[in-house]
Amino acid sequence: MRELTREFIKFFVSLKLTVALLALSALLVFFATIDQVHLGIWAVQEKWFRSFIVLQDIQGYPLPIFPGGYFIGGLLLINLVATHLKRFALTWKKAGIQLVHGGLILLLLGELFTGLFQEEYQVSLKEGETSNHAVSWRFNELAVADTTAPDRDIVTVIPESLLAHDEAVQVPALPFRIVPRAYYPNAALAQKEQLPAGQLTVPNLANAGLGPRFAVTPMRVTYDPQKKNWPAAFVDVVSAEGLIGTYLVSTMLIESETFTYAGRQWRIGLRPERSYQPYSLTLLKVTHDVYPGSDIPKNFSSRLRINRPDGSEDREVLIYMNNPLRHEGLTYYQYQMDAANANTVLQVVRNPSWLIPYISCLLMTVGLLLQFGQHLVGFIRKRAARPVATTAAAPAA
Amino acid sequence: MNRPLSTLLIACSLLTLTACRRDEVRTYTVAKSPEPATATPASSLPAPGSPPPAPVSPAAGASMANTAVTTASGPGLVWTAPAHWQAGPERPMRKATFFVPGEAGAKAELSVTAFPGDVGGNLANVNRWRQQIGLPALGADQLGGALQHLHVGDFHVDVAELVGPGAPPAKRVLGAIVPHAGATWFFKLDGPDTLVAQEKPAFLAFLKTLRPQS
Repeated sequence: MRELTREFIKFFVSLKLTVALLALSALLVFFATIDQVHLGIWAVQEKWFRSFIVLQDIQGYPLPIFPGGYFIGGLLLINLVATHLKRFALTWKKAGIQLVHGGLILLLLGELFTGLFQEEYQVSLKEGETSNHAVSWRFNELAVADTTAPDRDIVTVIPESLLAHDEAVQVPALPFRIVPRAYYPNAALAQKEQLPAGQLTVPNLANAGLGPRFAVTPMRVTYDPQKKNWPAAFVDVVSAEGLIGTYLVSTMLIESETFTYAGRQWRIGLRPERSYQPYSLTLLKVTHDVYPGSDIPKNFSSRLRINRPDGSEDREVLIYMNNPLRHEGLTYYQYQMDAANANTVLQVVRNPSWLIPYISCLLMTVGLLLQFGQHLVGFIRKRAARPVATTAAAPAA
Repeated sequence: MNRPLSTLLIACSLLTLTACRRDEVRTYTVAKSPEPATATPASSLPAPGSPPPAPVSPAAGASMANTAVTTASGPGLVWTAPAHWQAGPERPMRKATFFVPGEAGAKAELSVTAFPGDVGGNLANVNRWRQQIGLPALGADQLGGALQHLHVGDFHVDVAELVGPGAPPAKRVLGAIVPHAGATWFFKLDGPDTLVAQEKPAFLAFLKTLRPQS
C-alpha cells in the first residue's frame, strides 16, 4: 500500500506529466479551434472543454478521440497541487513562486466551477413590461402546471434531458405519470394541410389537444450560435385509470395544451427553462445613442425598476454596456436591443465563482512581483557590494 | 497492469466524481401570470385551421427566419398586392399572408411559401391542394389540362384552379407555382368558392407583378 502511495505521489509530482499535459492542452485548443468551424463556440466548449473524453460520431458510433478539457485540466490541477504540497516550504524565498502556483491552481478550479455551476439565462422585455423570471437560451423543460387556483399555479418542471432518455416521471405533485413516447431535439412543425409535398414527417402519436393537427419533421441539431433548436416530443399523460391523452409538446408552440383531470385544470407544454426570482424587473426605457451625424452606436442602455412584492425594494437601475447590474447572485448584462420596437434583451448569468479569476490574478501578480522583486533586490545588493577597484583602473597610456 | 497506469485510472475515477448539470424534477408555486411569459410575447392560441403562431425566441432577432426549418433562403421575390388585400401577421414557414375580405364576413386567405428544390414536382403539389379540398388525385397525364401557364418577365408560372366538390361548391383554390433560384414559391388563394372566383382577376394581376428581389 505504501508503495502504491509512493508511486501515486511520484506520478503526480512528475515534471514530465506537467509537460505532457501542457502539450495535450495545446493540442486540445488547436483541435477544438478547427472543430469550431463545424460546431460553433457553444458546442465546441461542451464537446472539447467541458468533457472528460471527446467523443466523435463516426458512422453512427460515438468513439473517444481525445482527452477532454476536464480530464487534462483535472490532471493538471492534481499535478500542480501535488507538486505544491510535496515541495512546499514556508520561506520568504519561495513565497513568490508559491503564490504564483496558488493563483494558477485557483484559476483552474475557477474554470472547473464555472463550467459546473454557471447558469445563463435571458430576459426579454418591452417598455412597460414586467417579468419575475429569466429564460434559458439552451435548455428547455416540460412544464406541467396545476392552474386550478385563481391566483397561483403549482408548476412541476421536467428537464428536457429526461424526455430524451425516455424516462417516465411520477412525482407526488402530479396525480398522473408523464411518459415520454418520442423525443426530437430539433423539429419543425407545420399544419398537416400546409405540409409541402415530399417533406418527410414522423408518425404523429398525439391524440389530444392541438397536436394531431401538426406534422412533425425532425431536423438536424444546429450548433450555430445564431440559431436555435426547437425540440418536440410526444408524451403520454397516464393516470391510475388509464391514458388521459398523448400530447405533442414543442417550444415552437407558444401556448401549452390544457386538460382537466381529477377536478383540476392542468397545462402541459415544453418551454425554455425558467429561473424565477423573488423580485420583478420592469423595463422603463431603452436608449440607443449614436454618434452625431452617423449611425455608429455610442451607447445602449436599459432603465429598469426592481420591485419586491413585499415592498422591501423598489428602485431604478440603469444597465448599459460594461455596466451590468449585480443583484442577489445574478449579473444582468445589456445583451441585445431593438430600440425601434422598445425592446431589450438582458443576459443573466449566475456564476458563484465569478470572483475566483480576479483573486487568482491578484495572487499571481503579487507572487510574480515578490519573485522578481527578490531577484532584483539580490541583484542590486550584489552589484552594490562588487569591489570598485577593478573598474577604477586607469587605461594604459 | 503497471503502476503509472493504475495510478492514472484511480485519478480518472476520482475526477469523474465531480458533479455535472443537475437533471431533477422540481415543483414550485408561482403567482399566476399570463401565458406565455416575456420570452414569447406573441400570445394567441392557434385558431382551428390556422398554423402555429410564430415562435419568438428569447434573443431578439432570432426567430423562425433563422432556425433550421427548410424554407427557401435564397434570393426572394417581391410583388405588389391589390389595395383591398390585407397583409396578415408573420407566420412560420410563410413568406407572406394576405386576407381578402368578401361580403357578409367571408374571407379568403393568400399564403406565400417557398421551399428549396422542386418540392415533389407540380403533380404532387397540385394533388396536395386537391386533397385539401376533397378532390381525387390527378394522374400525370391529366396534369397538363389542370394547369394554366403564364409568363411573367423571366418567370414561368403554373396556375391551378381547383373547385371543391358539392353543388354549389363550398371552396375554391387558386394556386400558382413559381420556380425561382433553385427554390419553388407557392402562392395559394384559398377560400369560399364565390369570393375566390371573384378574386381571380386580381390574383392573376397580382402574379404579373412578381419580380426578383433586388
